[in-house]
Amino acid sequence: MRMKKPAVVLATAALMTLAACGGGSKGGNDSTGNSNDNSKSGAAGSFKNPDAKAPLEVPSDAAQGGTFTVLTNQVPATLDPTQSYYVDSTAILSDLVLRSLTQYAYDADTNDMQLIPDMATDLGKPSEDNKEWTFTLRDGLKYEDGTPVKAEDVAYAVKRSFAIAELPDGPTYQTTFFLDGDKYKGPFKDKSEYKGVVVNGNDITIKMRRPFTDMDYYASFPAFTAIPEAKDNPETYGKKPLATGPYKFADYKPGSELKLVKNDQWDAKSDPGRIQAVDGWDFKFGQDTAKLENVIINDNGSAQTTLTYDNVSASSYRQISQDKKRLVTGTSPCTFMWFIDMSKVKEKEVRQAIGYAYPYEAAWKAAGEIEGVTRVPGTSILPPGTAGRKEYDVLGNKGKNTDPAKAKELLQKAGYKPGEYEIKFLFSTDDDQAVAAKNEIVKGLEAGGFKATPIASTLETIRTDRTDPKSPINVRSSGWCSDWPTGGSWFPAQWAGSLVGVEGMPNPSNFKEADMDAQQDKILDTMTPEQAAPAWGDFDKKMEEDYYPAVNIGYGGVAMIHGSKVGGMENDNVRGMPTFARMYITK
Amino acid sequence: MGIQPTELTTSDVHQGDDLPVKEDVAGKSPTQIAVARLKADKIAVVCLIVVVLFVVIAALAPVLIKVFGVELHAGDPIKDLDQFNFPAFGPPDHGFTWKAPLGIAPNTGDDLLAEWLYGARTSLFVATVSTMVATLIGVVIGLMAGFSRGWADRVINFVIDVFLSLPFILVALAVAPILVGRFGQQPGRLVFWQFFSLLVVLSLFGWMTLARLVRGEVLSLREREFVQAARVIGVPTRRILFKELLPNLIAPIIVSISLGLPAFVTAEAGLAYLGIGVTGYPSWGQTINKAVNFFNTYPLYLYAPVLGILLLVMALNLLGDAVRDAFDPKTRR
Repeated sequence: MRMKKPAVVLATAALMTLAACGGGSKGGNDSTGNSNDNSKSGAAGSFKNPDAKAPLEVPSDAAQGGTFTVLTNQVPATLDPTQSYYVDSTAILSDLVLRSLTQYAYDADTNDMQLIPDMATDLGKPSEDNKEWTFTLRDGLKYEDGTPVKAEDVAYAVKRSFAIAELPDGPTYQTTFFLDGDKYKGPFKDKSEYKGVVVNGNDITIKMRRPFTDMDYYASFPAFTAIPEAKDNPETYGKKPLATGPYKFADYKPGSELKLVKNDQWDAKSDPGRIQAVDGWDFKFGQDTAKLENVIINDNGSAQTTLTYDNVSASSYRQISQDKKRLVTGTSPCTFMWFIDMSKVKEKEVRQAIGYAYPYEAAWKAAGEIEGVTRVPGTSILPPGTAGRKEYDVLGNKGKNTDPAKAKELLQKAGYKPGEYEIKFLFSTDDDQAVAAKNEIVKGLEAGGFKATPIASTLETIRTDRTDPKSPINVRSSGWCSDWPTGGSWFPAQWAGSLVGVEGMPNPSNFKEADMDAQQDKILDTMTPEQAAPAWGDFDKKMEEDYYPAVNIGYGGVAMIHGSKVGGMENDNVRGMPTFARMYITK
Repeated sequence: MGIQPTELTTSDVHQGDDLPVKEDVAGKSPTQIAVARLKADKIAVVCLIVVVLFVVIAALAPVLIKVFGVELHAGDPIKDLDQFNFPAFGPPDHGFTWKAPLGIAPNTGDDLLAEWLYGARTSLFVATVSTMVATLIGVVIGLMAGFSRGWADRVINFVIDVFLSLPFILVALAVAPILVGRFGQQPGRLVFWQFFSLLVVLSLFGWMTLARLVRGEVLSLREREFVQAARVIGVPTRRILFKELLPNLIAPIIVSISLGLPAFVTAEAGLAYLGIGVTGYPSWGQTINKAVNFFNTYPLYLYAPVLGILLLVMALNLLGDAVRDAFDPKTRR
């Protein structure tokens, strides 16, 4: 998934990455004692449990009632289910308001997320060749207004996900995999019948045009909720989507506040993943980071039932790190990268030299990241725990050591004098941590024999500047988060040659190599899921070894604080968000 | 018969030996009187010393950092910080050290004394230049408005009203991304233009009060006999403005300058805190912006620039007050 903010300039207020599936904890930096205790961070959600039983048991120390206050510096751009892709919006919608065909649930025994059924009776039945998937809707599901949920509503939501012109920014796997995905433009423009989804009683069958082994994971996105066609208006549905989960929208002021109250039409006996312990949720967006951290740390009065999903900033981390009970740490399945534009930086030695010269630790610290907690060093592109991942270290730098001498040597081998090769990169002038990180990067690159030219942008415009093909930059700081825990949600989305030149620059390295594209097609079209997972791991290793198109500048980590009466808050390591679905106020 | 003068006794005619000798009573100009009063006012003298001290610090910042052995923007996050990104030496956890008399910044490890000294430099420079430019514009426009009649006066009044109604912060906020868009790709020029635009914005929003003040004074002065006499004998307008009227306006101008300086120091700090203004040069406002998050875990980081601004602004304000009092004839005994 796309990151919300460019990797390096991520303020400690968390990386709000797109809903990532997978991820897992990652063995952190033991020597500093800061590490997240992760041994397998990428496997999040890779364990499936089609027989999860409803209702989910409410813990014995739960007090009924009360209201949670969630304070955050982030502001979700939209809460429309079809457009939700960033992890904050998908977590809020999926965990609390909108049920999908499948869902993720936290499993305390393994400290991991499991894929379990939600509105469907199981995790879907694929055909032999994985080109047809059938989900059976449960009986008796109702919307918040008492009307029944019908299979046609889910089919309509699937069709709605193709209306990218009216509802942009959502996930786009349906255009790549579903039947007619490249031709159908959604129910608002295209009044023809969409043949890719067929309804038969309670059964919804989705037809693919190429094998799609991960449809069960994809069906957990809010885009696969139920939306009644008669009540849909693409421009306003996101302000009050019809709830099928334990809570419904009471009041939503886009950009500032979201209030949720209990949805009495939700039946706990039909939902194996959620509880309905508190009376309501009060989300306050766009809050000041220092203020919200102080409120939660001081834990007075209503602060005891307050939490945040932003990463704690370095200034407060020290205060709270002793109080393990109020700090939730974990991993999110995200890798931050410096994508090197292969159409501009053509020599492999120069690209590797960038990897040697990049000042990993200095840039992290200057940006306010806490090494081992909010940013974990890494060398493979796939984050730890992803099924089939291979651990390798192309540069031999353990993902954090800077070697300016080696960088200079490589530049010389490529025929460049010290200070001759210019690296142009973006940074936001109105974010001091970004400016501080930029200063360290300039120092590091220049020590490595490059000429560093930072190009100014602002927090508002940096995303457009980054994807502007006319921009003079030759590296792009960004990243990706797993949409589900296999390489299938990584490489086809960012590293396919067919994506070069596409609007929005989904392939930030402009990576186009015939042998790698052929390898991707082979994995997608001919392999079973069991063969594909390790094949993606090999793809990852080969790409970095042969071409080195991206510098791995760390995996994402999560460090969230909460008040003393907040119960059930764990790290949803599929997204790097709190496990809202199972939270309650303690007695 | 009357007494003949020759019959007067000599003792009746007084000699002028013990008549009091006329002293040289020189006239003192209003400025000289004011300066004399200022010298007598103890608070004003103290404030003046403080201000002069700041000016010296600002001017000698590069020398002073060598004296203390510190360097600007030379922090090494890997060596100078611990695993929580807090300083590995000096405040707040370890005691005072001469290596970093005011400590080093968390996250970057930059020396804070160097930031403070250069921040003083930025604040004073911005305040002085903005005040000078704003005063110049204000005086010229005020003179023109006050002395001309009819439509010219009305037009200038309208312009002053327009500028008074422009929201200062919004304009400053609007200018910042425009500059970044235009100069983003040339980082050196961007910093220069940001600095320059800060000066322009501050000056453009500071001249109106003085213009109105000067206009008012000129309106009352131009009906006085000496002005009318000058006009009758054909003195050109420019000479009347600069040679007759301006000297009478010294008082409000000096008061305006002395009150404008602290206002601009505060404005620059405020803008830096909001994220507008200079980003390439160290400034107290920027340091405060970064230090606010550490107010309870690393108080010195915040209090050093706050104290700097406090002292400077207080000294300038008190000095301005004393100057105003000194120039005001009504407070003379």
